[in-house]
Order: sequence, then structure tokens, then C-alpha cells
Amino acid sequence: MQCSESLRVQAYFDREVDALSAAEIERHVERCSECRELLQDLEKVRSALRSGISFDAAPAALRARIAQTLEQESTLEQESTAAEAGNTATRLKSRTRRQTKGWGGRGFWGGALSGIGGAAIAAAAAFFLVVPSLVSPLSNELVSAHVRSLMPSHLIDVVSTDKHTVKPWFAGHADVSPAVADFEAQGYRLIGGRADYIDHQRSAVVVYQHGAHVINVFTWAATGAPNLRNTTLSGYHLAFWQQGDIQYCAVSDTGWDELLGLVRLLREQT
Amino acid sequence: MDDKRARFEGQVLPHLDAAYRFARWLCRPGEAEDVVQDAVLRAFKGFDGLRGSDAKAWLLTIVRNCHLTAAMQQQRRAFVPLPEEGDAADGHVMIANDANPESETILSDQKQVLDRLVASLPEEHRTVLMLREIEEMDYAQIAAVTNVPIGTVMSRLARSRAALKAKWLQEVEGSPRAVL
Repeated sequence: MQCSESLRVQAYFDREVDALSAAEIERHVERCSECRELLQDLEKVRSALRSGISFDAAPAALRARIAQTLEQESTLEQESTAAEAGNTATRLKSRTRRQTKGWGGRGFWGGALSGIGGAAIAAAAAFFLVVPSLVSPLSNELVSAHVRSLMPSHLIDVVSTDKHTVKPWFAGHADVSPAVADFEAQGYRLIGGRADYIDHQRSAVVVYQHGAHVINVFTWAATGAPNLRNTTLSGYHLAFWQQGDIQYCAVSDTGWDELLGLVRLLREQT
Repeated sequence: MDDKRARFEGQVLPHLDAAYRFARWLCRPGEAEDVVQDAVLRAFKGFDGLRGSDAKAWLLTIVRNCHLTAAMQQQRRAFVPLPEEGDAADGHVMIANDANPESETILSDQKQVLDRLVASLPEEHRTVLMLREIEEMDYAQIAAVTNVPIGTVMSRLARSRAALKAKWLQEVEGSPRAVL
């Protein structure tokens, strides 16, 4: 028989509760040996999975097929747009395409609605409509730089798991000298450094690996730009902070919790 | 390249690896690639519908829908995929940076066991677990991707974590505290 608080303890472990509930749950765990054991088990399962499960990147052949499909599809769409604006002859051609391509003409939402059921789509739509109202150009720049870094052979200029190699390397390649440390024991492995160009400056980027995820920590000389608040853009979290006169931004598609974990470690470092 | 395609390649394609991992947890081996390709095409066609910021959860939702559509079309019952032969070894090679050959062998064995145990979980448990622990999504994102209420996400997570722990203990009987 499980303790009736076990789901709340799990939510606490996954950092899904507010500070007030967290304090409550912590008090409960102090008294309940079963929940104490549960917390340990949750941690063991997590670390076993994150360090032990194998996962593959998308195969190159699949990437090539997708690139080809997108090429075809965007050509078709452009033709179709031209057809709508143009004469009846092209319109006819576009209609033929629609018939042969099945649900192609109905678009994603139409196809998905008929296939899956409205409730699912409504829920998904409601979820995705929560849009951050203001996106700073700098955040866009950082996400683009992060995405660019994930393309083959763009990630790292100096490959090293040794902070004494990475940090001096920045001296000749960037305008700032950021904190560099390896947190392998905490699950954040230092894999190297890179020079980039952010906010009109030569930026030093420290690259970490956390499970399946790459975390880029961008650093540049703080210019006192306002509104650098943590945000999420295109599925990437951006965590900003400033230390001395250096501006930091950690970017990744990890969870917030995991990203802020690295931020905490880096802030404690100096 | 036209603007839509450039934006799509910038916002959505970076999540291709996550989409592929997710498909591998959902589908029969060998089907993941087709499902992902179908999903990316659908995503591209519906790209104008992506107004929010969470392109990753959006793409994964489409991957799951494509998987369901394919499964429905083939009138196939849900079942449990096993890792393809050599998968565990490949993953091991990708991540390996251990200097000690002996501990490497032990690690490799553990990976294979873990892969097998995860594969033996029911699909809806496995996907929720992987979305939380490997993709590091929060409850709300997982609920959106798997199309169940957050309460269901929580109970599935609890059950899959407990089941994985129990299976692991069973597997390594005699050394119940080896890894988990």
C-alpha cells in the first residue's frame, strides 16, 4: 500500500509544485519513511535512465529523405500559390495535384481533425496559443546561434573536457573570459568551447552536454541591456544572468529545471 | 529557398533528433523513420498553425498523431517494440568515453538490460517516462504531446517508474541495489 502523498512527492521531485507545497511536502517526507525511500528511488531511476539508456540521432538517410520531401512540397506550394493568383489553366493543374495527393490540399489541421479527433487538436491548440508577447531580437539571435551550433561540425572549436584548456583558448578568440568548469558529477559534462558573435561582440561559448541535450552557455560583455529575462523560444529555454561585467545566457532544449541546475552551479563557481 | 521553408528549417528541424527518439519509443522498429518523415511533412504543411513558441512539443504531438493514424490505418493492435539488434552497442559507442575496459563492459551490459526493460513497458508508460527523463519535458508539455490530462501523466509516470525499478530488481536479483 502506497502512501497517499506519493503523487505529490513525485511532483515535488519533478519540480512541479510551488514553494508553499514544496515546504509542506518536505515536512511530510521528514515524517514518512516510505516517501523518503520513494524520493531515493525516483532519483535512482532518473540517473540510471539518463546515463544508461541508448538513444540514436536521426539517421543521415532520413535527413536526406526529409530534405527532398520539403524541397518537393515547397515547390508544389509555390506553384499552388501562383495558381491561385493566376489563370484557370494553372488552377486546374493545382486541383489535379490535390486529388492525387490525398489530404494534401486540406492542410495539416483539416487532416489531423478528421484523423484524430477534435478534442486532441483543441487541447493542443490551446496549449500552443500561450505565446510570449514580446521576443527580443537578442533572444532570437541566441536561439539561432544555438541551432547553428547543433549542425554538424559547428558545435565546438576547442574540444576538451578540461577547463584549463578551454578557458585559456578564449583569450585569443573572444572579448570576455567566462567561468569554465566541469560538472560531470552533477550530470553536466564540459565538452568544449566555441567563439561566436552575439550582441555585436566576439562571444565566448562554453558547451556542456546533459544527457541527450547540448547546452550552450553564451557570454559577452554586459552592455546593460534591459529586459534580459528568462524566456522560451522555439522550444529552447534561455536563462540569463550577469556576473561582474559579463552577461551570461544558457540555451538548451533541456527542461527548465535541468537548465537552471547548471546556472546555479555556474553562479556558485565564482 | 523560400521564406517558409527557411523558417521551418530554423524552428522545427532542429528538433528532428528528438522526434526520431520519440518515434523509436512509440513505434515498431523500422517504422520510426516513416512516421517521422510523414510527421515532418505534415508539420511543414501546417507550419502556419504554429503560433506558439514550443516547436518541439508541437512536432512531437504531430509525430504521435502520425503514429496513431498509421496504426489505425493498419488496424494494428498496440504492441511492444524490442530494440533492434546492435542498438545498445551503437548507443554505447556513441557515448563511450570510459578509460577502464572492465567497467565499460559492465556499463554496456547495464545499458542493454536497461534498453530491454524500458522496451518492455507498455507504450503509454514508456513514452511518458522518456518524455520526462530524456526529453526533460514538464507535465504540461507531456500532457499536450500525449493528449491526456496532467493527472494521467502523473499516474503513468509513477507507475512506469515503479515498474522499471521492480523490473530492474528482478533482473539483477542478488544485487538489488546495483544501479536503481
